Amino acid sequence: MQKLQALIYASLIAAALLGPDGAWLPLPAEAASDRLVIYSGRKEKAIKPVADAFAKQTGITVDLKTGKTSGLANEIRMEKAHPRGDLFISTEGGIMEVLAKEGLLDPYQSAATKAVPDDFKSATGAWTGISGRARVILYNKNLVPEKDVPRSVLELADPKWKGRLAIAGTRERTSLAWVAALVAVKGEAFARDYLTRLETNGLKILTDNTEVLQGVGRGEFTIGLTNSPNYYLAKKMGLPVGVVYPDQDAGGLGTPINPNAAAVMKGATNPEAARKFIDFLLSPEGQRILVGQDYEIPLIPEADPGEVLPVKSIKRPAVGAQRLAELEEPTLKLLTAINPNW
Amino acid sequence: MAQAGTIALAGRAPEPASGRLAQAGTVALLAGVGLLILPPLLYLASSAVQAGTLGALSIGSLAGLALTTLALAGLATIWAMALALPMAWLVVRTDMPFRNACRWLAVIPLAIPSYIGAMAYIALLGPVGSVNTWLSALTGSHQLWMNIYGFWGGVFVLGLFTYPYIFLLVSAALEATNPSVEETARSLGESPLGVLRRVTLPMLRPSILAGGLLAFLYALSDFGSLSLLRVQVFTTAIYHQLNTRFDQAAAAMLSFVLVLITLAVLLSQRALMSRRSYVTITGTARVARPLPLGRWRWPATALAGGILSLSVFIPLGVLLAQTGSLEQFTDVLREQWAFIRNSLALAGAAATLAMIIGFLIAFSAKRAKGPVGAALLGTIQVGYAIPGTVLGLSLILLYNTYLPWLYGTVGVLVLAYLIRFLTQAVQGIDAALAGINPHLEEAARSLAASPGTVLRRILAPLVRPTLFAVWTLVFISAMKELDATLLLRPAGFDTLPVRVYIHTVEAEYAKAGALALILIAFTALPWLVVTRLREKKLV
Repeated sequence: MQKLQALIYASLIAAALLGPDGAWLPLPAEAASDRLVIYSGRKEKAIKPVADAFAKQTGITVDLKTGKTSGLANEIRMEKAHPRGDLFISTEGGIMEVLAKEGLLDPYQSAATKAVPDDFKSATGAWTGISGRARVILYNKNLVPEKDVPRSVLELADPKWKGRLAIAGTRERTSLAWVAALVAVKGEAFARDYLTRLETNGLKILTDNTEVLQGVGRGEFTIGLTNSPNYYLAKKMGLPVGVVYPDQDAGGLGTPINPNAAAVMKGATNPEAARKFIDFLLSPEGQRILVGQDYEIPLIPEADPGEVLPVKSIKRPAVGAQRLAELEEPTLKLLTAINPNW
Repeated sequence: MAQAGTIALAGRAPEPASGRLAQAGTVALLAGVGLLILPPLLYLASSAVQAGTLGALSIGSLAGLALTTLALAGLATIWAMALALPMAWLVVRTDMPFRNACRWLAVIPLAIPSYIGAMAYIALLGPVGSVNTWLSALTGSHQLWMNIYGFWGGVFVLGLFTYPYIFLLVSAALEATNPSVEETARSLGESPLGVLRRVTLPMLRPSILAGGLLAFLYALSDFGSLSLLRVQVFTTAIYHQLNTRFDQAAAAMLSFVLVLITLAVLLSQRALMSRRSYVTITGTARVARPLPLGRWRWPATALAGGILSLSVFIPLGVLLAQTGSLEQFTDVLREQWAFIRNSLALAGAAATLAMIIGFLIAFSAKRAKGPVGAALLGTIQVGYAIPGTVLGLSLILLYNTYLPWLYGTVGVLVLAYLIRFLTQAVQGIDAALAGINPHLEEAARSLAASPGTVLRRILAPLVRPTLFAVWTLVFISAMKELDATLLLRPAGFDTLPVRVYIHTVEAEYAKAGALALILIAFTALPWLVVTRLREKKLV
């Protein structure tokens, strides 16, 4: 009995200490020039194929840490003393501006980043957009016929949509960016009034965009405000959804396109590989893989958009990334004053 | 009938025999544990003090938050006890049919992370879940029949997936208590219910309280399932402050209040525990003669079956349906084997360390009288109260700044798991040690046995069932841990919960379902092995 017990303990301890591939304590200081560490707020299924192609082409090993953009940004701030990542990929530009202001990003400009339109990158080169998502109205086709779907987000304040609307809260930074753009274009008073009316209309604030996609897809909500790729994803899952790109009429507000962004981290162990990766992301091959995986909008004019609407055919409000970033904090205050769940 | 108190002896710990050595050991342990757990706490406290404000929160909303959180944790614990106690008594003390199967099935819910359980129940009982859809189709009316979202959904789910904490400790204690006490009461004409109420339950008090405390603390610090179920509690508010407002100060303030609440809970539990204590005179762990249930056999089986359906069969069924096909399993196994190994190695290391350290701590704390022992136990319990996300962030700051060689390795994950889960080991072993009469030890000492011999030959064998139980508890908790792991894992080193999380966020539900089932299987495995070995009397 004693022997058996000892054997069990010994094997457990041995298994634990040997660990995966015998590498129980991988020494981070030895991170060599052939290892690129990416902190990615973007979906793994969007980034991993690009990382794999990059690894194959360059021989650089890529280690991914996938998480929520805001969580990873917090982590980067806390790791300031000894940065652990080389490259940060976020789902929104505003957060990059926050990090840039705190001196956590290492500016990089190249021929590839020059091709990205100005409103999708930092003026100082701290970060660059790599692909985009438009803000759209997602609706359940079983609950509302196409002709009745609002063509403008402003119509959602109409009482006939009471209790039928959903949006992700500001932990999805794209929701925050959407409201910030509204504040930038129409002013704070207008935005507050509009959002208060949405609140009295029972706008349901969900945790994330996946919940919006699911909730609308399953019919819990008639209409959801979300990002354009979610429409294609829901359609692929066989959910009965339709999409409207709102406010596209002449003289309309336009609908914001939020960039996914990439930046080299200040103090990166391997900044050279990170820069190479950004150029790869913006190359025709990189864009094809990145955009094709998750129905994103390519930001390079000559890249093939595939199934999705190209960037030039979507009317967007003329608000620079820096202005948006400045507006995010006051916008957040405005939103949480209306409903703390934002 | 004789009161249990007159049969059992209320005893005090004996004077430590080799005082100085034991004292030094205890102090060293205390220092180690303090260095492990206190820095993140101090960091929290100092950030909270520096902030000095509640950010966007008012005192009123803070009080509301505290009330909701406490009510939710309290009701979830009561619900968990209502499930665990009948189950434990039925499988250990009666001749209920299928009691051996029930015994190992009743622990499976512990292997189901509460966020996965919540996911499954949302798919079933959510506003557009299967049940509402069926009922609407059946009746033709589109009213909302069931809605799992909200406070009561949170209570329901947390109770379902935490009751095994109580079940495990109580059933282990039921086995370890000497059945002759109960048999004597019965032979003296006490009814079975009377024996239960007046003899069994009082003897089980330490285990019930310890298990209930684990369930309560789990509910206080749970984030995953409550955010899915859209309940506003401390943890979800902290997450919000941290991740959308980047307001670390407000998050620290909230976390600090949560830790204070936990401290209050721990202190009141301590007061409850110290009121009365029972010890068994003899050390025999003889198995009790099962109580014949007679015509209550099948109602009892139905009750056990109902509990198991809610907590095991239904969630697993939903996950199986979500996975869809067998290929999904084989694909996932092939694709993600490395992550499965990561999880197993990590949880195995954490559980082994927690068991060894936990035994030493519980042993020292029992021997060290007064404030030192209490401080030791208290400090460890507080670690469990720090929400995973907050613990993760404070460890990043502390370890990356002061121990950069450790941070960024897997070691930091093991430390985080120890901080969070060491108390599970200590609590369980402490409760088991409390049931051992110090006179046994004194007798051995008087026969010139060294403290080491006493530990090895007397205490270890007596608490062995508990040692296996706590190893399993910590292993299970570590296998499921998500919040801190998401933050602290080195790039490229994902664990199973992280994979389930990623696939769920990316709406790949078939993959998430398959991985969740694999996670549950591997988490439950050691429990099944240990139970099997015990049935064969191998351990």
